[in-house]
Amino acid sequence: MPPLTELTLLHLVPEIVLMLTATAIYVVGAFGAAQQGWSWMAQCGIALAAYALYFQASIFDDGLTGPLVIDHLAFFIRSLALGVAALLVLLTARAARDRQGPETTGSVLLVMAGVMLSASAADLVLLFLSLELISIPTYVLLYISRRDASGQESAVKYFFLSILSSAVLLYGLSFLYGVGGSTYLGEIRAALVTASETAAVPGAISLAHVALVLIVGGLAFKIAAVPFHFYAADVYQGTTHANAGLLAVAPKIAGVVVLVRIVVAAMPGNEEFAWKLLLVMSMVTMTLGNVVALWQNNIRRMLAYSSIAHAGYLLIGLAVGLASTDQPIGYDGLAATMLYLSVYALATIGAFSALSCLGKYGPADGQLDALSGLTRSQPIIALAMAVFMFSLAGLPPLAGFWGKLTLLGGALDVYLTPGDADLRRWFLALAIVGAINAAIAAGYYLRVIAVMYFRPAKSEPPLLSSYGAYAAMLVCALGVIAIGIYPGPLVGHSAQATESVRENLELKSTKDVERSP
Amino acid sequence: MRTLLILIPALPLAAALLTGLLGKRFLREKSHWPTILAIGVSFLLSLSLFLEVRRYSEAADVAGWEHVETLWSWMDIDDAYQFEGESRNFAIDVTLRADALTSVMLVMVTFISMLVAIYSAGYMKHDPGYSRFFALIALFVFSMTMLVSVSNFVLLYVFWEAVGACSYLLIGFWFQKKSAAAAGMKAFLVNRVGDFGFALALFFIWTVYGSLNFHDTDVHGTPVVVTAAASTETETQGVLGRSRLEQGDYDGYIGGGIGLTICLLLMLGACGKSAQFPLHVWLPDAMEGPTPVSALIHAATMVTAGVYMIARCTPLFAASAADPYLLDVGAEVIAIHGPLVVATIGAFTALLAGLIALTQNDLKRVLAYSTISQLGYMFLALGTGSLAGIVFGMFHLFTHAFFKALLFLGSGSVMHAMGHVIDMTKFGGLRKLLPWTHWTFLIGCLALAGVVPFAGFFSKDAILVEVALAGEADSATGRWYAVLYWSAIVTAALTAFYTFRAYFMTFFGPLRVPHEAGKHAHESPGTMTGPLAILAVFATMVGFTLIGSFGGFLEKTPSLAYLNRHTSASDEADPLAAQATKEHHYQVHTEVAMLSTLLALSGIGLAAFLYLGERREVQWFARLPVIRWFYHLSYGKFFFDQIYMVLVIWPVRFLAWLSYLLDRWLVDGLVNLCAAAALQLGAILRTLQTGALPFYAFLMMLMLLVLLISAFWTNLV
Repeated sequence: MPPLTELTLLHLVPEIVLMLTATAIYVVGAFGAAQQGWSWMAQCGIALAAYALYFQASIFDDGLTGPLVIDHLAFFIRSLALGVAALLVLLTARAARDRQGPETTGSVLLVMAGVMLSASAADLVLLFLSLELISIPTYVLLYISRRDASGQESAVKYFFLSILSSAVLLYGLSFLYGVGGSTYLGEIRAALVTASETAAVPGAISLAHVALVLIVGGLAFKIAAVPFHFYAADVYQGTTHANAGLLAVAPKIAGVVVLVRIVVAAMPGNEEFAWKLLLVMSMVTMTLGNVVALWQNNIRRMLAYSSIAHAGYLLIGLAVGLASTDQPIGYDGLAATMLYLSVYALATIGAFSALSCLGKYGPADGQLDALSGLTRSQPIIALAMAVFMFSLAGLPPLAGFWGKLTLLGGALDVYLTPGDADLRRWFLALAIVGAINAAIAAGYYLRVIAVMYFRPAKSEPPLLSSYGAYAAMLVCALGVIAIGIYPGPLVGHSAQATESVRENLELKSTKDVERSP
Repeated sequence: MRTLLILIPALPLAAALLTGLLGKRFLREKSHWPTILAIGVSFLLSLSLFLEVRRYSEAADVAGWEHVETLWSWMDIDDAYQFEGESRNFAIDVTLRADALTSVMLVMVTFISMLVAIYSAGYMKHDPGYSRFFALIALFVFSMTMLVSVSNFVLLYVFWEAVGACSYLLIGFWFQKKSAAAAGMKAFLVNRVGDFGFALALFFIWTVYGSLNFHDTDVHGTPVVVTAAASTETETQGVLGRSRLEQGDYDGYIGGGIGLTICLLLMLGACGKSAQFPLHVWLPDAMEGPTPVSALIHAATMVTAGVYMIARCTPLFAASAADPYLLDVGAEVIAIHGPLVVATIGAFTALLAGLIALTQNDLKRVLAYSTISQLGYMFLALGTGSLAGIVFGMFHLFTHAFFKALLFLGSGSVMHAMGHVIDMTKFGGLRKLLPWTHWTFLIGCLALAGVVPFAGFFSKDAILVEVALAGEADSATGRWYAVLYWSAIVTAALTAFYTFRAYFMTFFGPLRVPHEAGKHAHESPGTMTGPLAILAVFATMVGFTLIGSFGGFLEKTPSLAYLNRHTSASDEADPLAAQATKEHHYQVHTEVAMLSTLLALSGIGLAAFLYLGERREVQWFARLPVIRWFYHLSYGKFFFDQIYMVLVIWPVRFLAWLSYLLDRWLVDGLVNLCAAAALQLGAILRTLQTGALPFYAFLMMLMLLVLLISAFWTNLV
């Protein structure tokens, strides 16, 4: 591991700013000084962190410092996390005016700080800590924001299953430590490269497979992929719209980036098994998510299954990246995953914001029927919701279309590239399953639109209850449309983010921050 | 000139938008004003454009004169075509051109349209769709003026479709009438067949010539015109551009099989729009539209688009004639080339339509078939392949526009008086009742029948002369042209007969008025008779005043001048003789003139003998078995509609029915099956979601175990 210096600390300024802001909000909130200002304070902290992030990106090259890896992937994810943080703070603005205001806002900031940290962590210990930094404030959020029975049930379920998955992940990490002889990803990578080239350490590869299964299993909980998806439906349904939005996005970002860091970048020699594992998980996950979502009458529960299905989609790109190691196609696959992650985050937060506009957990605790005739009482919210549904379904010209297009295109590229016939067949199957799933998914997304637009209002029209959520919804809707019409910049950034994920972990890299004067 | 070129189509477009948007609400019975004013000003602008073009053309050398204005670039795709190392850009510039051909068409179109618009103000009064009618007329004039002034095949195609769409809307103007709606549909669908050929022709042209522009462009995409200084470098060759036209011996163009294919496909397009056999069936039905529409679109302007297009593509046809496709049929080799096909179709259509027109009782249908027949003459002229032939074909187009508009508007005036009855058996002897209509109609008939000194005589005679000259050649092709010549002569006699049959049936005999006309059938108002009078004057005058100068002006069109610049090898050997034949072409050919006049007079005489007085002769005549048989054939329009019904419509209907069944049961069934399968799968999987925390944990661990085993398994294998 490169030595820890003051530069390392400097690189952590954005996270530190977020945590300091959160701490300040906690502390000041305890004395009940201000009732209204928490959201503004948090937004200031986010802005400051964003400024620090862009400032350091402009003065430092990519490289390794202490347990951190500073590269385009980290920058991409940290920017995304800050954007998500700003939206989530807007989304929870109403809750922030309640008694639990300071705790809610502060916890959101901490969760997002954890996401940012996970993006640049290059050490197993730091990685695990950053993931726990995401989990623990989430328990708090789930607990405080909804005090009725179903809220408590969901908090408890999430708590236990999260701990279970953390244990599995930690178990996997310990195997990885055993195989690589280090907690530092760069050294693990070096050791595995040696092992696969010389077969000097017999059994190292098979142990690496065990590590791989356990790590992927633990992280599958974060991204809500089969078989660790069970919590999603129950927890989303039992909590508030805002929390469901946070759960659907924040852990998923962290899970994907850690999968890229460990499985894609730090475990060479295991790609053969890894892509098969991820490919099968991807197919099962998206199919399960989509077909079960068809049956749901609760919109949060439906969106939970939709989030499971999207986890399946995210895995397509990772499988492509693993199957075509060090080929442009592989990097295109990873880039597609990053692109998909961004557009998914935008549309999902947008959808939960739109719901949040109508109350903390909606007029009838998330029942789909309560949205009947929404277009007449709240036309703008209905329209924005329709935009998010269309984007999630992947219809052009919205952002989601480009996400699906690049992902499925990546899978097809593997099929079209000459190579192992077995591998090509698998990826053809993956592309076909993905396409069929996109069609199935349209079924339940369009149902939401049908309910809003074509059914007469059943009860009295829901009122607009949160301007923060309304603002978040508008921002997301505009973003979805803008990216849909002009996807170029985001596509470019996502490609840049993943183009050298493996090389960035090389210890001998000349990019090493410490070696430049 | 740029301003002129833009304003001529822009004004009708503005009028169309204005009337279309505001007509119903604000303009109401004043709806005709924007359209009439816009077209009127367009006409004046066209006239000044014409004078301008004439000034330049007279100064121009044998290459001719053209002017091209680029308005903007519609699309520009780099390396759109890559084949065997060659790559081309696909660029469509919105360009307008001015040359002799365009300016003549513009003047003709705007002039006739203006008169028809004025006439319509009277004719269409009190129609509920008054503003819609004028909006569509203006839109049509916009499309037509664009069609003749664009300098790109794709845009030509776009406006080709646009006039088709306008025609559809105007034929079906009274869409409440089932027959009108059906006629509009028929016109559109039959035209689609032709358009399909035209589109294929464009694909061929693009592939073979690498461009769809008429003109050349330099590196900046600026047009290079034929009179440009030699220093202007051509980057992309246009299909009818300078660099191609300058190459001798038809080198710039492709003959043989491909050249013939392009010509045939273009001709198919022209057949659709100009109602030539076998796509002529739509035009008679198009008479369901309001009569001014028939006059404007289906006689004078739109149907001439095909003729214009063929004339515009002259070099393509000339190349096909220079290098014909040799068809080997065992005993001998037949040389087929584009102009020959055009001439054959034209002559055959002319004869066929003439025969059908003999027995029709609907006045407008007689005129519709005469239009088809006259268009056939134009194609026959274009098909001679000589410069004079093409020029006189265009001249016939020009004169025909006047007298056919006159005849149609006259028949409209009759309809107006007769309470929209147009069956000639229901009225008669109207010459006293409708004096203005009668006299102007007579002039139109004389012009159509080709009687000296009316306009039709000169143009038709010139065409006959050209065909006769083409038939003098001593070759298989020459003999074929001789056959076509005699067919055209017979058609001329038929024309005179059916025209005057209609005239005598309508205006002579005892006065009979159908009861639909009410008690006081009367002459039409001044807005209607005025245009009739003006058109009558022109139908009389344009023949002998312009016959001398028309050709000299029109041959300055670069693509027509091409024929002048590249005389065939035999002409080059004896340039003086070649020059002499050219001079000769512009003169009245005495024998042919005598013959055609004789035939015209005998046709009129026969019509007078049969249809004046008691009409006993007709009844006696009709009892002859041969005549009866022929009468049924002609009256049934040679049963083309029925033949198409069996050959085309029934098979298509059957296919549609089959597809419907397939879609309904097979495709829908599969789709529904997939949906049901997804739902059922979901129903099974959701049972796993029990809500019990220990069960979840158990399942998670179980599946993790499965994955771990699979990990070991892959290692073992």
